[in-house]
Amino acid sequence: MLVEFEQIQKARSGDDAAFNQVVLAYRKRIMGTIARLIGRPEDVEDVAQEVFLRLYYSLDQLRTPEVFEPWLHRLTVNASYDYLRKQRRRHESRMADLSEQQVMMADASAGGKANDDQRHRTQVRELLDSLMGSLSEEDQILLKLKEVEGLSLKELEKVYKVKENALKVRLFRARQRVLRVFESQSPKE
Amino acid sequence: MQDFDQKLDSLFAAYREAIQDPDASTDFMPKLWNRIEAKRNFVYRLKRMSQVAVAAALAACLLGGVLITPLSQHSPQIAGTYVDVLAEAHAEDAVAALGGVRIDLLDADQQ
Repeated sequence: MLVEFEQIQKARSGDDAAFNQVVLAYRKRIMGTIARLIGRPEDVEDVAQEVFLRLYYSLDQLRTPEVFEPWLHRLTVNASYDYLRKQRRRHESRMADLSEQQVMMADASAGGKANDDQRHRTQVRELLDSLMGSLSEEDQILLKLKEVEGLSLKELEKVYKVKENALKVRLFRARQRVLRVFESQSPKE
Repeated sequence: MQDFDQKLDSLFAAYREAIQDPDASTDFMPKLWNRIEAKRNFVYRLKRMSQVAVAAALAACLLGGVLITPLSQHSPQIAGTYVDVLAEAHAEDAVAALGGVRIDLLDADQQ
């Protein structure tokens, strides 16, 4: 835990300063997770605020300190999922926007190496996003939580409140699907 | 397939590297509190409106009850049972005209 449970208890009882401390402790981590789940940097803050807004209005439901982090993860997953669902219809234009934005960022950054790094990151991001495009929003998030965020099956079980075996099956299918797309997109040797 | 499996693992790792935890802007907290306040006000207004709506509905029910009760007490249609109303509508002679039989006459014949 990044904060003492006492701090969370204070926030729960309406102490705004304590709530501020909780937000400040988890903000960077949550924003990082959101950034990797939604893949759109300019909307990360907005989604993160939505997560903390939901946290503020649901803190009174928290019973034990052990469930705080999985619970915060669940709020993050839900807010990211809601965001991705809203963006679904704009998917094609989204990819174009992202490229344009990355080009602008690359132009703005100084030096050739910085540009190369930026270009490489953009390529990685676009490649994975295009592979993930074959999955539903739910499966994209689940697979990224496991493979990118590095959450264990036990942790995922707490976040999703679903049995480990069911998660394993779902993860396996999602990964196989991404692999098939990856294979089909790669040039034949 | 195994080759792609490894490549995919590398891609996931590269993705993790490519997207670092971003820093929040300076107005993150003020904006968050604005949203919290906006929602709090909205919920308060909604609660207030629903309270007013419930009170209005209750008042309308009471008013309706007060208006309907005296009317129903004076209404002849609901003063008695269906049979009472029928008996009143068809007096004894009227029943005879319709082909009814007088019971006292019947009794006299039998004796």
